[in-house]
Amino acid sequence: MNSGVIPISNLQLALSIILVIAAGAIAAGLRLGLLKPLLWGTVRTFVQLTFIGYVLKFVFTVNNLWLVFVMVVIMCFVAARASVGRTPHIPDYPAALAFWSLFTSTVLVGLIVVRVIISPDPWFSARIVIPIFGMILGNSMNGIALSLDRLYTEAYARSGEIESLLAFGATPWEAVRDCVKNAMRAGMTPTINSLMVVGLVSLPGMMTGQILGGADPHEAVRYQIVVMLMIAAAVAIGCLLLVGFSYKRLFTQDGALRLEIFKSRQ
Amino acid sequence: MSACLLEGGVLVVAGPSGSGKTTLLRILARLREADSGKVLLDGRLWTEFTPVQWRRRVNYLAQKPAVFDGSVEDNLRRPFELNAVKKELQYDREKALELMERVLLSGSLLNQDARTLSGGETARMALVRALLVEPEALLLDEPLAALDRKSAGAVIELINWWAGAQTGRGLVVVSHVGEFGALPGLSVLELAGEEAGSVE
Repeated sequence: MNSGVIPISNLQLALSIILVIAAGAIAAGLRLGLLKPLLWGTVRTFVQLTFIGYVLKFVFTVNNLWLVFVMVVIMCFVAARASVGRTPHIPDYPAALAFWSLFTSTVLVGLIVVRVIISPDPWFSARIVIPIFGMILGNSMNGIALSLDRLYTEAYARSGEIESLLAFGATPWEAVRDCVKNAMRAGMTPTINSLMVVGLVSLPGMMTGQILGGADPHEAVRYQIVVMLMIAAAVAIGCLLLVGFSYKRLFTQDGALRLEIFKSRQ
Repeated sequence: MSACLLEGGVLVVAGPSGSGKTTLLRILARLREADSGKVLLDGRLWTEFTPVQWRRRVNYLAQKPAVFDGSVEDNLRRPFELNAVKKELQYDREKALELMERVLLSGSLLNQDARTLSGGETARMALVRALLVEPEALLLDEPLAALDRKSAGAVIELINWWAGAQTGRGLVVVSHVGEFGALPGLSVLELAGEEAGSVE
């Protein structure tokens, strides 16, 4: 299958820097303040991907179940930290909640995909598991970040309504149900949108990669369909878990809204 | 500090700004934790109730009442969608109209978008909404603040009527001394800027 890959030499790789330098020159000329982040981003891309290239080569060669498992855990950990990073001031270890939500949804959906649908031999084949789990994680990460942020924004904006419902004898769940609904929707919308326009607006990265790698487009499309659907499932499960875990933290043990968690916002 | 709300009575909580009047009401509604002190309802300690049971009986109406999406009637109905209310009471349109009339709100408002109401209308709608669920104790935070003199008079009259209309009802009202001046069965609790103690 790899016969169709056209290799990129070191010289050719170096040539790609010229484009960034050109963009950097424009940024510097216009004083956009983007030159430093652009250069730093370029360096990081080179270093991180080169490093990951070696790691993947090693993991693929060893192809050990536990090694693959450790990789998945590390990936979940990094994704969890990134997903709560944009939503500040959430109390009580949000990264831990995000980790368990991501880990559960990714492993659940990922296992079904690699064991039942793709079923490579061995089933934990790193060459399949790592990229598949990585794609699920990348999308769930964005989904739960949006959901979590929305949950807190809504609860803050509607704290008057929530307290009013509580005052009438609502349970915490009854009081925040609308917020939870909107939070779920916010997390799921990008995924649903991408299900709608996939192939029409852009070719997904994985499919493009397979086609560049010389795969038959029909074959690439089949993989892509599996990937799209598993991403949708994983995002839904991840958001559901995280929002389900998180909404309780908006309330005290006495079922009152914790207004102090909103004080540091704005 | 200690105070007692009698059946059919109105307890006015007064005091300068920042003396903790609102805090006291929120504590009574268990929307905020008290550092110390205790509250009894019908001789039963508040910890004997779950928060949901308690708030079903002791309703708190904020000074700036919440407005839910939808019409005025949707707003009046909203509490009846909650399990704790639903299993005891059903929304009664006739009763809603009667209460609205008592606070000088026209029945034609029922179909109006609740977010288009004026401040004074919103305050009165929220009062009607709170009375419809028939709490045992109603906690009102400055219910007259947004009202002109005429509607304020109607609200005072309604509150007084409601407290006495059935046994087992009472009101705690944050207000200025004198606003509720002439009501029978009225007692006043003055907060002096110190922390609230126990209210029984």
